[in-house]
Amino acid sequence: MKKNILGILGLLIAIFVITAVLNPKFVSAYNMQNLVKWSSLYSIMGVGVAFVIITGGIDLSIGSVIGLTASLLAFTLGKNWDPVVAICAMLGLSALIGLIHGLLITKAKLQPFVVTLCGLLIYRGMARWTTDNQSMGFKGHDQLNEIFSGKIPITDTFALPMPFVFLVVIAVAAALFLNRTIWGRYLLALGNNEEGARYSGIQTDNLKIAAYVICSLLAGISGLLFAFELDSVQPAQTGEFYELYAIAAAVLGGCSLRGGEGGILGVIIAAAVIRLIYNSINMLGISTHLEYAILGIVILAGVVADELLKRYTAKRAAQ
Amino acid sequence: MKVARYLLAFACASALLLGWGCKKPTDSKNNTVTVAYVTNGVDPFWDLCAAGVRIAEKEFNIKCEVHMPTKGLVDQKRIMETLLAKGIDGIAISPIDAENQTAFINEAAKQTKLITHDADAPDSDRMLYIGTNNYKAGRALGELVKAALPEGGEVMIFVGRLEQLNARQRRQGVIDELLGRPEQELSTAKFDPVDAKNLKAEGSKYIILDTRTDNFDKAKAKSNAEDTITKYENVACMVGLFAYNPPACLDAIREANRTGKIKVCGFDEPDAMLQAIKDGTAQGTISQQPWKYGYESVKAMKRILDGDTAFIPENKFMEVPFLVVTKENVDEFWATKKEMAELGKQ
Amino acid sequence: MAAPATPLLEVRGLGKRFPGVRALHNAHLKLAHGEVLAVIGENGAGKSTLMKILAGVQPADAGEIFIDGQPVQFQSVREALAQGVALIHQELNLAANLDLAANIFLGREPHQFGFIDQAKLHAEATEHLQRVGLDLPANTLVSDLPIGRQQLVEIAKALSCQARVLIMDEPTSSLSQHETETLFEVVRDLRTQGISVIYISHRLGEVTELADRVLVLRDGENAGELSRKEIDHNAMVRLMVGRDLEQFYDRKQHDPGDIMLELDAVRTPAHPHAEISLQLRAGEIVGIAGLVGSGRTELLQTIFGVTPAVGGQMQMAGEPFAPRNPREAIRAGLALAPEDRKQHGLILQMAVRENASLASLSRDQKNGFLNFNAEEKVAAEAAEQLAIKTPDLDQATVNLSGGNQQKVVLGKWLALRPRVLLLDEPTRGIDVGAKREMYRLMEQLAADGVAILFVSSELEEVLGMADRALVMHEGRIAGELPRDQLSEQAVMQLATGTPLAA
Repeated sequence: MKKNILGILGLLIAIFVITAVLNPKFVSAYNMQNLVKWSSLYSIMGVGVAFVIITGGIDLSIGSVIGLTASLLAFTLGKNWDPVVAICAMLGLSALIGLIHGLLITKAKLQPFVVTLCGLLIYRGMARWTTDNQSMGFKGHDQLNEIFSGKIPITDTFALPMPFVFLVVIAVAAALFLNRTIWGRYLLALGNNEEGARYSGIQTDNLKIAAYVICSLLAGISGLLFAFELDSVQPAQTGEFYELYAIAAAVLGGCSLRGGEGGILGVIIAAAVIRLIYNSINMLGISTHLEYAILGIVILAGVVADELLKRYTAKRAAQ
Repeated sequence: MKVARYLLAFACASALLLGWGCKKPTDSKNNTVTVAYVTNGVDPFWDLCAAGVRIAEKEFNIKCEVHMPTKGLVDQKRIMETLLAKGIDGIAISPIDAENQTAFINEAAKQTKLITHDADAPDSDRMLYIGTNNYKAGRALGELVKAALPEGGEVMIFVGRLEQLNARQRRQGVIDELLGRPEQELSTAKFDPVDAKNLKAEGSKYIILDTRTDNFDKAKAKSNAEDTITKYENVACMVGLFAYNPPACLDAIREANRTGKIKVCGFDEPDAMLQAIKDGTAQGTISQQPWKYGYESVKAMKRILDGDTAFIPENKFMEVPFLVVTKENVDEFWATKKEMAELGKQ
Repeated sequence: MAAPATPLLEVRGLGKRFPGVRALHNAHLKLAHGEVLAVIGENGAGKSTLMKILAGVQPADAGEIFIDGQPVQFQSVREALAQGVALIHQELNLAANLDLAANIFLGREPHQFGFIDQAKLHAEATEHLQRVGLDLPANTLVSDLPIGRQQLVEIAKALSCQARVLIMDEPTSSLSQHETETLFEVVRDLRTQGISVIYISHRLGEVTELADRVLVLRDGENAGELSRKEIDHNAMVRLMVGRDLEQFYDRKQHDPGDIMLELDAVRTPAHPHAEISLQLRAGEIVGIAGLVGSGRTELLQTIFGVTPAVGGQMQMAGEPFAPRNPREAIRAGLALAPEDRKQHGLILQMAVRENASLASLSRDQKNGFLNFNAEEKVAAEAAEQLAIKTPDLDQATVNLSGGNQQKVVLGKWLALRPRVLLLDEPTRGIDVGAKREMYRLMEQLAADGVAILFVSSELEEVLGMADRALVMHEGRIAGELPRDQLSEQAVMQLATGTPLAA
C-alpha cells in the first residue's frame, strides 16, 4: 500500500540543488524561511484534500472556503467580535461546510464534483456579499498576528514561521490518523472498494463525511493563516484557485484520484515542490509569464519519472 | 432519505435567501432620463466610482443604474442586452475585452448613447472615452520614485498581469521617466519587452531590474516581493502597479526588517498604502480618483442627452486627472476616500 | 479423419514466470481439427496463463507454438486472431448499447469511403449468428439478450474472424441449465464444422459430457491426459489434486442446538411482497437452493443488513434483531461471505493481512489506534487455520487465486467467532482441492456450534452438505427438504415453481 515517495523527494532535491548552484542566494536563511512558510501554507490544504481524495472524492471548494473564513474573520473582527470567539466561529463554520458536503454526498448521493463545485460558487458569493466585497485588514490584532504569522527565532538570521508549526502539528496528527488508527485504515479500505468495506461492517458514510469535514476544516485553518500572512483580505480573490494547488499537491504526492491510496508526507513534499518551483523561477530571473508552463512541465516530468521508477523497481523485483 | 430531503430543502432555502438578500439596482422611473453605468466586474474600486455616480445623479437630476457583472464577459453582455431591451437612454461601459467586443459595442451604440470609461474600445463607435492617461500616470509614478531615490538606485516593478494595456502603459511611463526618455504619445507608445531585465540608460542613475507578475494572487505578489529581497541585495525601491501590489511589498519589507531602506511607490489607494504614506514608510501613490470616473461619466451622458456634444474632443478621449498622493496631502485624500466609500455602498 | 495428420495447434515446452511464481513450466498440448479439448486443473494450476499465451494476451517466456505445423509467435490478441485463435472471455466483452451486428464487426466494419456499409454488415452478421443457432435480427441490442445468448454472440464474433480455435474460459459459470445445453449444442455443431474448441471448466460433469479429450494441469505442468473413454469424475479429480480423494462431502450427524436465527414473515426490498420465515439452529448447515434470480442472495443480504428488510421480524439468539447495516449484523454475531468476492468480500488492492483483520480491527483497537500485534495474530491465525497459500501476509489479495481469496474472506470472519455464518456461493470459481477444504471447514464449524446458511447453485453441493435445504422460487421459500428427502429432482421441481406431490 505504501506509495513510493522517492520520486517526488528526488524532484525536490534536484530542483533545490540546481537552483542553489545557479544562485547561491537561494540558500540564504531569509529565503529558506520564506520557502518554509509558503510550503507550509499550501501543504495544509493539500493534507486536507488528500483525505477526500483517498475516499475517491474531490473537493473543489477549498479556495472559496479559504476566502470565506478569511473574509468573515476580518469582517467579524472589524465588528469587534472577541478574537477567540471569531476564530472558533470560523473553525466551526468550515467544519460545518465539510459536514454539509459530506451529508449531501453520502445521504443525498450527489456527486462530490457537483457538490463542491456549487460550494465553490456559493462560499465565494457569500464572502463577497457579507463583506460588501471590501478589502479588509487586521489592524490592532498584533497578538493574533503573532500566533498565525509570527516567527520563532532559531538562529540570528533564521526564524521558524508559525505556519510551519501549524503544519507540523496537523501533519503529525493526520499521519497518525491515517496510518495508526482504525479509521485511517477504514478510509483507505473504503477508498479502494466502498462496497467491500461496507460488507466488512465499516460505516462508510460516516467516514466519508469525516473526510470532508477534515478537508474543509483544514481549508478553514489555511484561510486564517493566509489572512494573517497577507494582512489583508479581498473577498473576491483571496484563495481563488487554491484548490488546484491543493489537488495538484495531493496527486503529485501519491494520492490516486481513484481513491484508496495516499500518504501525508508525499503530499507535503509535493506542495513544497510546487512552491520551490515558483521560488526558483524568481531566483533564476525566469520570466513570470513562463511560470505555469514550467510548473506544468516539471510536475508532468515528476509524474512520468515516478511511473518509470515504479516500473523499474517492479521489474527488478520480478527478476 | 429524509435527511437528504431536508438538506435539499435547506439548500434551496439558503439559495433563495441569498438571492433575495442581494441589493437591487436602483429602479428606473419612466418620467426621468435613465442611464446605466456598467463596470467590468465587482471590486471596491467600482464602489468608489459608484459614489461619483450618486453625486452626479443628484447634481444633474438624472437616474443612473450601476451594474457590476459578476461573471465576466458573458455576464456583461447579458446586462447590456437587458438594458437595451428596456430602452435605456445612455450607457457608460468599461469593456472587459475591448477588441473582441467592438462589434457588440457598435450594435449597442446604434440603439443608445454609448460611452466607454476606465478602459476604451478604440475601434468602436463609442461617442467618448473617459479614463486616465495611464502613460502619464506612470511617468508621475516615476517622478515619485525619483523623489524617493534622489541618488538613484535599483528599482523593481510588480504588477498583476501585463496582458492589460493599462498595466503596460503604466509600466512604460515609469520606465521612460526613470531612464530620462522623452515623453511618448499615449496612442503610439512603444513598449519595452515584458521580460526586459536590468534596463538602464546613459545619464540615468536608475536601473530597472525586472517586472514580476502574479496573476492577481496576493500570496504570489508577496512572495514575488520576498524573492526580490533575496535575489537583489541592493534593491532600493519597489513599484507596485496594481492596488494590492504596494501593500504586499510593504509587508515583505517589514518582515525582512528592511522598512525604510527599501522605498515603495504605488498605484491606487488601499488603506494599507495610505497608512504607510502617512507613516513615511511609503513614498506616495497615484490615485485615479475613481469617484471622478463615475461623476464624469454621468455628467458626460447628461450633456450628450441634452444635445450638447461640443465638449467632446477630437480624439474622443477625455482625461480624468489623477492625483499624486504623498505625505503632504494624504490626510485630506483619505478623508475624501472614506466619504466616497460610504456613499458608494448605498 | 486421417490418423497422423498435423495437429491444428501444438504447444511445446511453454513456460511463464510471474514475480515469485512459476505459473507455467514445460507445458505441452496438441489439438486436432474439430476436437473439443477440455483443460482442467485447480486454481493456480496454470490454465488461465496457458490460454492467455495462446490468445496473445501475454507473451511466453519459453516454448514454441505451432499452427498447422508452422511456428508462430503472438505479440497481441490481434495476431492470434489473424492465425485463427480466439479467446471467449469469462467476462464478456460486448458493448451492451450496440446491436449484434455492430458488436460482431466492432473495429472491422465493412466500409466504403469511410461510411459503414450497413446492408453488408447486417447480412454477414446474420449469417454468423445462424452458425451459432441464434435466430435473431442482427439489429437486436445486446442489452436485450440474456447472458447465455450474449455468450453465443461472442462466439459468432470469433467465427466472423475466421477463428479455427475457440478458447472458452469457464463459459457456463453464469449460465442457466437450459442455456448451458444450448451452448453445448453449438459447440458440438462447431466441431462438425471442423472448428476446434479448448474448453476450460471447473464443472467436471460438463467436461464428461462434452470433451473428446481432457488435459489436466497441476502446478503449471502437465499432470496427465484422459482420452474419451478414460474420462470420469474420479480420474479427473485424482489427476488434478495428485492423490486419491476420500469421500468428497464429509458430513457427520450433529444434534442441532438452540435456535440461533429466526425469520418471521421477513420481506426483502427485492421481493417486497414475498414473506420469508425460517429457523436456523446452532450446529446446523442449511442450504438454500433455487434458480438465479429467485431471491437467495437478496435474502442473505437482508439478513446481513446490506439491504434492510421492509417488513417482518427477525430474532438472533432470542433477541429482536433488525440490522440497518452490516455493522449491526456483525455485532449481533453474523458473518457473510458474499457471492461477489472481488466487489464485496475483499479490498483487492490491500494486503492479506489488512483484509484478514479488517472486521476485527475495531474489536482489537486501543482507543482508536490500530493494534498491530493483534492484527498480525489475526492474519497469521487465519493463514494457518485455513492454509492460505501466499508468499507472505503483505501480498495484495488481488494476486491470490480464487480459492485463497475466499479463504481470506472466511479468515476475516472467523476471527470474530460468528454464531451465524452466511455463505453465498462459497465454492464458486474455486478448484476441487479448495472446495474440499471449504466443505471440511463448514463441517468443523458446524461441529463447533456455528449455524451455517449457505446459498449454492451447485446441486451436488447442496445435496452433499446440507442438513436440510430450503428451495426458493420468485422470492419465496417454495419448500423445505430434510436431508433424507433431498434429491436433485425434488429441488429442481420446487425451484421451477412446481409443488411436490404430497
